[in-house]
Amino acid sequence: MKRTSMWSFNLNTASLVLIPAAVGINYIGKLFAGALKLPLWLDSIGTILAACLAGPIVGAICGAINNIIYGFTLDPVSFIYAVTSIGIGVAAGILAYKGRIKTAVGAILSGLVIALVATVISTPINIGMYGGQTGNLWGDALFTWCTASHFPMWLASGLDELVVDIPDKVASVLIAFGIYKALPKNLTVLYKNDQKIERLD
Amino acid sequence: MAKIVAEHLKYKYPLSEKLALYDISFTIEPGEFIGIIGENNAGKSTLCQAMVGIVPNFYKGAYGGKVLIGDMEIAKSNISDICKKVGIVFQNPFNQVTGCKLTVYEEVAFGLENMGLPRSEMIDRIDYSLKLLDIYKYKDRNPFDLSGGQMQRMAIASIIAMRPEVIILDEPTSQLDPQGSEEVFRAVQNLSREGITIIMVEHKMEKIAEYSDRVMLLHEGKLIAFETPEKIFSRDDLDCYGVTAPAYTRICKSLGIKNKKTGFYPVTLEETKSLIGFSEKERCPYDQN
Amino acid sequence: MIHKLDPNSKIIYIFVANIAPALIGARMATASFILISIVILTIGKVLHKTAPMLEFSGLILLTVAIIQGIFHQGNTTVAFALGSVVFYKEGLMFALGIALNVINILMSFSILVLTTKPSDMVETFVHMGLSPRLGYVMSSVFQIIPQMTKTMATITDAQRSRGMETEGKLKTRIKAFFPLISPVVMNSLISTKERAIALEVRGFGSKQKKTFLNDLQKTRYDDIFRFVLILILILSIFWRVLIWLK
Ligand SMILES: Nc1ncnc2c1ncn2[C@@H]1O[C@H](COP(=O)(O)OP(=O)(O)O)[C@@H](O)[C@H]1O
Ligand SMILES: [Mg+2]
Repeated sequence: MKRTSMWSFNLNTASLVLIPAAVGINYIGKLFAGALKLPLWLDSIGTILAACLAGPIVGAICGAINNIIYGFTLDPVSFIYAVTSIGIGVAAGILAYKGRIKTAVGAILSGLVIALVATVISTPINIGMYGGQTGNLWGDALFTWCTASHFPMWLASGLDELVVDIPDKVASVLIAFGIYKALPKNLTVLYKNDQKIERLD
Repeated sequence: MAKIVAEHLKYKYPLSEKLALYDISFTIEPGEFIGIIGENNAGKSTLCQAMVGIVPNFYKGAYGGKVLIGDMEIAKSNISDICKKVGIVFQNPFNQVTGCKLTVYEEVAFGLENMGLPRSEMIDRIDYSLKLLDIYKYKDRNPFDLSGGQMQRMAIASIIAMRPEVIILDEPTSQLDPQGSEEVFRAVQNLSREGITIIMVEHKMEKIAEYSDRVMLLHEGKLIAFETPEKIFSRDDLDCYGVTAPAYTRICKSLGIKNKKTGFYPVTLEETKSLIGFSEKERCPYDQN
Repeated sequence: MIHKLDPNSKIIYIFVANIAPALIGARMATASFILISIVILTIGKVLHKTAPMLEFSGLILLTVAIIQGIFHQGNTTVAFALGSVVFYKEGLMFALGIALNVINILMSFSILVLTTKPSDMVETFVHMGLSPRLGYVMSSVFQIIPQMTKTMATITDAQRSRGMETEGKLKTRIKAFFPLISPVVMNSLISTKERAIALEVRGFGSKQKKTFLNDLQKTRYDDIFRFVLILILILSIFWRVLIWLK
């Protein structure tokens, strides 16, 4: 079966219905990290999973809607970070399409790439919004040390974000990969937007 | 009203090795009540979905032969057009809720909004179908706050509002408690009286025998027989297909009581009673089953 | 009255409340908009509902004030000292600017968020031309989040009653959570198949132009409100140009 472009906007209903479920999983991850007081966010597992299942466009929509909904229900500042979530969804979608998330090692490496993408997008926003901080205890401790040591602002802020993003995105991709493996194949095939009907006669 | 015709229908799911439907042909007349029986994985749900275009348009996979609803060929039409003629209700009431509407009333409106109906017509149709299914009193509730039986009736109402000529029910009561099941069966009987063609998959053979004009027996993707309930349930090889006849039929079989006129065993309580000469007022000794 | 305003008017307000101060370029302008938002929220009787959001951002803002107050790169003028820790005026003013911006965003969005039903908002977007398919996705997310919260609360309660949340090492606690969370996650994914089919058979894929059960109404207040907002925006652009010409 020939695969069409991963950038098709012609999304089938199954991959659209996947988006609410994925945003729900993001939310479960976030609540879970909160309930166990983990130093991670775990709020992009669903976005990464949706991107792996249905491609970068669905990943991007999933990320955007995720933050719009958080903006409406938890914290309006989330609206602005929608850009980061879109980046995460697109990056995960491309990596999966290129077949990079097929093993646990691949998942870890992909986690690093996604963390880098998230940091590059988030850092300017952090600088604009909060003077460079992220609000994460460990990250901000590093930020304070960097600022006290007269590092430039962009570097201090970038490191603040990266030090949280690396463990967070690696863990998130690994969990998403685990869920992907556990799903029945005759379900995951429905999210592909490029299937054709064969004739039997 | 439209006839349903299947000609040499074959189907294989994607990633699957074997055919789920194998060379199936039949004709269903307008207004008939059709029962579909067969063991698990016989292909009942696949056949139902082939009559609304879910097979093959949603799943894709490999397809042969054709299904016609009137002059509309299923494999060549969009599900959004087919669903104006054929409606379907599934097993799990919870997963049929759209999940985007806040009240029962709005939930039923979902399909009508997609059809692009004017507002006044929508309201007429929603009121009618909610009353027909006896859930008008819940119209302002959140769909997820309904009981299983009420939710399933809402699913049926949502389909009825779209005014299809055919309604397919795929094990509509298998996840409901006895009371919820009774509610749904009563609703289905009402629909049948309205003259709609009904196709129902059901494991409760007493219900199949009572309502159906004809019954399809499926096994491993093949159509074994398509006959009146009396003829189907009088077969000697039913157990080979994982099907048990209704209790009345089994008892009469073991007692050798046949209907002299047809030459088949009786399939309903009424028929059994009249055969063994009990008047309406007396209790049938086998009723306890 | 605020609740009855068209969501569009509230979106215009968010836009103006955040663009105008940027154009004018004075902290007073930001502060004024915060004040206006507070007045509007009070009229709408929802001011108290902003508390959790403020608490959430307030904590970050506090650390920003401390860190910038001490370490900000342009720090020269001493403001005050707590023991051996010295706070500088420049850093604190920088933090104040950040705080005003964040609170302004919070308050202006709160008007939309706290006085509009999510379903109305999505419907407005769809009326404005958002694809109904994406509209569906947004409304169903709004439905799913409370369901998920409920499920998680049940799970956390179960954990707490078994003493899992407070006792035990992190690893044991994580292990205890997994068997409870995975069925929720798996079910939500597996049920997407049936839900997608259920939508399809109700004409979700239709190319026909959609109609709506609920009408959306614009009130007289909407026109007044929008007029004032546009006026403010034009004035602040005018102001910016004046400064630029000087
Ligand atoms: N989505 C699917 N992908 C692959 N195979 C399927 C799928 N759904 C059903 N099947 C297979 O098709 C056959 C018929 O299934 P089905 O129509 O659901 O049977 P029934 O409704 O009679 O229990 C079974 O062998 C089943 O495993
Ligand atoms: Mg079935």
